[in-house]
Amino acid sequence: MLPLAHVGHYLWTLYLLPILFVVIGIVKTTLSERRRKGSDD
Amino acid sequence: MSLLPFAHALAAKQDLPVPAWLFAWGASIVLIVSFFALAAGWRKPRFEEAHWRPLGAGLSRALCGRPMQALYGALGVFLLGVAIYSGLRGTEAPDRNFALTFFFVTAWLGFAFFSALLGDVFRPFNPWRAVGRAAGAGFRAIAGERPAHLAYPRALGRWPAAIGLLAVVWLEVVYGSSGGVAIGLDPETAAAAAFAYSAYTLAMMALFGVEEWCERGEVFSVYFGMFSQLGWFGVEDGKLGRRRPLAAATHWATLPGSAAVVIASIATTSFDGASEGAFKSAIESTFHWFADRGIGLTASLRLADTLFMLACFAGVALVYLLGVRGMRTIRGAPSLATLRVGFAHTLIPIALAYLVAHYFSLFVFQEQAQFTYLLSDPLGTASTDLFGTASGGIDFTVLSATATWYVQVGALVVGHVLGLTLAHDRALVYWPDYGQAARSQYWMLAVMVAFTCFGLYLLSVANG
Repeated sequence: MLPLAHVGHYLWTLYLLPILFVVIGIVKTTLSERRRKGSDD
Repeated sequence: MSLLPFAHALAAKQDLPVPAWLFAWGASIVLIVSFFALAAGWRKPRFEEAHWRPLGAGLSRALCGRPMQALYGALGVFLLGVAIYSGLRGTEAPDRNFALTFFFVTAWLGFAFFSALLGDVFRPFNPWRAVGRAAGAGFRAIAGERPAHLAYPRALGRWPAAIGLLAVVWLEVVYGSSGGVAIGLDPETAAAAAFAYSAYTLAMMALFGVEEWCERGEVFSVYFGMFSQLGWFGVEDGKLGRRRPLAAATHWATLPGSAAVVIASIATTSFDGASEGAFKSAIESTFHWFADRGIGLTASLRLADTLFMLACFAGVALVYLLGVRGMRTIRGAPSLATLRVGFAHTLIPIALAYLVAHYFSLFVFQEQAQFTYLLSDPLGTASTDLFGTASGGIDFTVLSATATWYVQVGALVVGHVLGLTLAHDRALVYWPDYGQAARSQYWMLAVMVAFTCFGLYLLSVANG
């Protein structure tokens, strides 16, 4: 049996996930743009 | 049946088709899609000009003429007087006394909501402005000249209003809750605070001038004036006119401390919600930490609440500043100070969204009380029935818990999309290349998604 008795205490992480996805997307986009600019130069 | 004025949401479970956290995911997707839609389709600024157009001269005269201004001001003074008198002489029961509902629901929420729709509706009713203008007119009539005032320090800006806003909410939420129950703020304390605030405001108006103080330091003028920047109507040179919604906001945050006002609005609403839910156990732990060190129970609770309220302010400010810092990384970005001031107005729709989401249900329920038994029996002594509505009550069935949740989600989504739109529009001013402007808004998108998810999290915990 899974220890799910206290899983409710961690529901806040589900609200954090969209923020993390957006931030990771921004970081990845920014890094790839810089890499592309670097290779163009 | 009456409702205690500080129960901010109907205490019932919603009947939702999906878990509450999925609404946060859905709202975030809406924001991300909006971001790409703006990047693709919004290529030049549209909000830098308000495009104010006068309405008919007759309508302007009827609504904004001197006799009407005097009437509005007199009404404001009268209502303030009734509220203070009720607080001082009426029942101690907060739900039966005119003062608390009038101050913290009808005025505090009503003026915010209607200002956002219609423009600065508080200004003509501002009781302190009315008294100040009357006093100034009296001085001119007697002395034959305008009263002299001190020059208002430019660097002070709206900081007195920002600090005052924190103080007002502290009084209601921290001081008022310090008895360990939600109705700790008694009508007499609220009335005394209103009286003290009146004395302070009139003194500041005498020092710096009525309009100067209303524009910068008078808490309610600045607070409601902030929301009024979103509204459809505005007055220029005494004439009533229509303007592009949201556009007036783009030039609001030019005074120092303006960002602090809007951050304080978001933070205090967040704290009010979080203190009943998400932060509750942390506040209790902090309370026990202080109490174990010999600090009295009431003082410990107030200290714990105050620390968390200030932490909310710092947290909201930090999220905004991270977004500003992120914009600074884009080539051609203006200075950090320019960005910090230039994008502060984009938080105004978010502050409104938080206010609607958190207090909408309270407003719907408590206004029924305001216009029934509180209107007819303002002192709450059951000895008057001025308008025959003293036996009226609140109908809680007008709004279900599920409908409330959908209003809350809708308000947060709409508010943040509007914030994103204002931010994108301002970015086009700072970065003429629309590609760079769009890239600069990646971090503001993160800010908007963060505020949306945080707001929905607080509401989901508070609603149970």
